[in-house]
Amino acid sequence: MIGNDIVDLALAQKESNWKRKGFLDKIFTKNEQFQILNAQNPEIMVWNLWSRKEAAYKIYNRQTQIRGYFPLQLECFDLEIIDGITFGKVVIKEDIYFTKTAITPQFIHTIAVEDVLDFVKITTLENQKNILKNNGIPNYFEKESSVPRPTSISHHGRFEQIVMI
Amino acid sequence: MSREETILKLKTIVKPYIQNEEAFESLTESTDFINDLKINSANLVDVILDIEEEYDIVIDNQSMERMLDVKSAMEIIETKLSEK
Repeated sequence: MIGNDIVDLALAQKESNWKRKGFLDKIFTKNEQFQILNAQNPEIMVWNLWSRKEAAYKIYNRQTQIRGYFPLQLECFDLEIIDGITFGKVVIKEDIYFTKTAITPQFIHTIAVEDVLDFVKITTLENQKNILKNNGIPNYFEKESSVPRPTSISHHGRFEQIVMI
Repeated sequence: MSREETILKLKTIVKPYIQNEEAFESLTESTDFINDLKINSANLVDVILDIEEEYDIVIDNQSMERMLDVKSAMEIIETKLSEK
């Protein structure tokens, strides 16, 4: 299982005003808001946590077929930075997903997996060739008869990322 | 308020966030905010906050979960207005 999410930081700045009254309360738990407000760069932390929640939601949606808008139920934990890449966990009910986030001046990109060992199995695709969607959920088919491979597509502003496991 | 009026008002609220003009023009109760109007999921919270401000209601987290299409939004607005 895999999910990914990319945030074009220039577009996010244009599209969203995270300082708007009520914005943080509707999306982030108290602990997450504490992290945002105490971060060196709060805006980057907003999109860092948001991309984790989105990437984790994509796996949750794939697994449960539940579609909804419940960012507060997807809570981010245990952020740590190893060699410039931030790792963490997103928890929803009994499910835990592992996240890996790359932060650059242009974009923030998170990949979420179910098993932490899956991070090494990820392939990035250049385009949507051989990808079919069922119920909005994408899979990659090497050949028509081959076993579908879980795929996640994320597009925001200037960036698109397609990852497969 | 009639359903037509609610739909019209809702259209004005979502307009700044839509990315599919065609789906917006032909908006009906079954129109999906994300799949049809292509509203960015981070902007869905703005739609919700705008609805709260416009109607002076509070949309609780449970209602927010269902806030994915015009029909659910209308139902939630009606329910919250009737509780006022």
